Amino acid sequence: MSVAVRAAGVYKAYQDATRRVEVLRGVDLEVAPGELVAVVGPSGSGKSTLLHLLGGLDTLDAGRIEVGGEDLARLEGRELARFRNRTIGFVFQFHQLLPDFTALENVMLPGRIANRDIAVIRRHARELLAEVGLADRLDHFPPHLSGGEQQRVALCRALALEPPLLLADEPTGNLDPATGDHVFELLTTMAQRHGTTMVLVTHNPEIARRCARILLLDAGFLRTYGAEGPGP
Amino acid sequence: MAAGGIGLGVAALVLALGALSGLQDALRAEVLARTPHLEVELSRRDDLAAARTAIGEIAGVLRVEEMVRGRGWVKHGVLVQPVEMVGFEGEVPRFFPGAAGSPAGLFLSESLAARWGLRPGDVVEVVSPRPTLSPLGPQPRVRSLAVSGTFASGRTEEIERIALPLAVARPLAGGPGALLEVTVTSLDRALAVVPLVRQAVPADAVVRTWEQLNRPLFFALRLEKTVMFVAVSLIVLVAAMALVADLALVIASKRRELGMLGAMGAAPQRLRAAFLTLGALLAGIGTLGGAVVGWAAAVLLDRYQVLRLPGQVYFLDYLPFRVEGADLVAVLLITFALALGSSWYVAQRVDRLQPVEALRR
Repeated sequence: MSVAVRAAGVYKAYQDATRRVEVLRGVDLEVAPGELVAVVGPSGSGKSTLLHLLGGLDTLDAGRIEVGGEDLARLEGRELARFRNRTIGFVFQFHQLLPDFTALENVMLPGRIANRDIAVIRRHARELLAEVGLADRLDHFPPHLSGGEQQRVALCRALALEPPLLLADEPTGNLDPATGDHVFELLTTMAQRHGTTMVLVTHNPEIARRCARILLLDAGFLRTYGAEGPGP
Repeated sequence: MAAGGIGLGVAALVLALGALSGLQDALRAEVLARTPHLEVELSRRDDLAAARTAIGEIAGVLRVEEMVRGRGWVKHGVLVQPVEMVGFEGEVPRFFPGAAGSPAGLFLSESLAARWGLRPGDVVEVVSPRPTLSPLGPQPRVRSLAVSGTFASGRTEEIERIALPLAVARPLAGGPGALLEVTVTSLDRALAVVPLVRQAVPADAVVRTWEQLNRPLFFALRLEKTVMFVAVSLIVLVAAMALVADLALVIASKRRELGMLGAMGAAPQRLRAAFLTLGALLAGIGTLGGAVVGWAAAVLLDRYQVLRLPGQVYFLDYLPFRVEGADLVAVLLITFALALGSSWYVAQRVDRLQPVEALRR
């Protein structure tokens, strides 16, 4: 299952100690169901902010974002949390795994939050981890895993409930090129298999070129970087 | 850490209240051993015999005896001691421990007899402030009496008492009316029969219970316990504050993890409930642990009489401990409520935690 993402006139500004910083000054975005889109741009251009807004982690100052036809501004508290849980998977540059939980338990977390049957989510988590080559690392804690392994666990966690939308913020940014490449392969393969819509923020031009479309975020505006990328 | 603090506070509270209860029980027992269960004061117009009979027929009443109370002095040579004279009918009453049940005669406290070196058979003079007219004018009434025995000294008594036969006491200390001492099967029963006693005696008669006769003391004991409870509860309050600090520290150190849980769809209410549960768990462990330690320590200290007291100074040889069920329940409830309130206060902070802020590096 996949969803369309639509953003129109998205405006976001932050107030720092001395001035108001306009990060997004009217971003428009359309992502088709199942599409893989890369967002590139210089550091501090607001790529992560845009991703957080798309995922309902942050609130808009102006504009509108729809995910699967649902206006995120109309959701709050428990409803928004439930929507995130069922609809959106996140992968961050720093894996953000919970260090007190094993790899398996980390992958089971979205299912536990959704109150799914534990036996079912455990079996699914095992399958996912096996799929990314971590069948022998199930009971390892994050500090005992390599960077690539940690990111693969994070990927499995993001896909644990087979969300229709995957938002990835520099998922390979903290990895060496070979490991990053491997993680990206897994990411795209698994996303494609589930028909997941994916928005990927990256600094890596090689990774970006393998996406269906590249968008450049610069000076608070989003525009097409190239007519289309070479595809994954 | 927080659970330990709470446990320590609870243990201190249980021990302090246990010591106070033990001490107060001993004091109460000491005082009640020297207090009639009920006293009925009749006026001159009242029918003494009818009142005695009516009271004696009430279920639970063991004895109804006339008695006399009044102030005077005991004199032996040049030695003089102010005393309260208690005139009794028949045998020595129960509130003269050590002499109760002895045949009529003059009984002094052990300490007075020891101080003056008196033995049974020695003669002392009992002097009443009530004057009698003589050719030389008003003179105090004096009776020479042989000492029949002694009773256990009450170390809590404000004034020396002497027991003497009613016939002797009446002219020395008797008032216009009459005083009846009622002995009942138990202290509780004594309070229960008061309405029946009131019905059995004329309306102008005054009925006083052991509780009323010692009201200032019992009020002071209750007040002392309340103040002690509040004072020692401050330890628990400090421990609850430590729980706030501990939980706040956990929230601060787990900020990123909480942010990630939020990003994965954990509702703020659920995260708050998790911290409330953690707080309740720590509070529960601390409270129960402290209660068990405090209770066990109180039992051991009491059984083995660990804390010795100089018997010559105090009315006890050791510090007794008695943990009352009601005290224990109050301690558990108050501590748990304080700790839970603290946890709730901290858990509110989770609500203000935005996932995006928590995830930002």
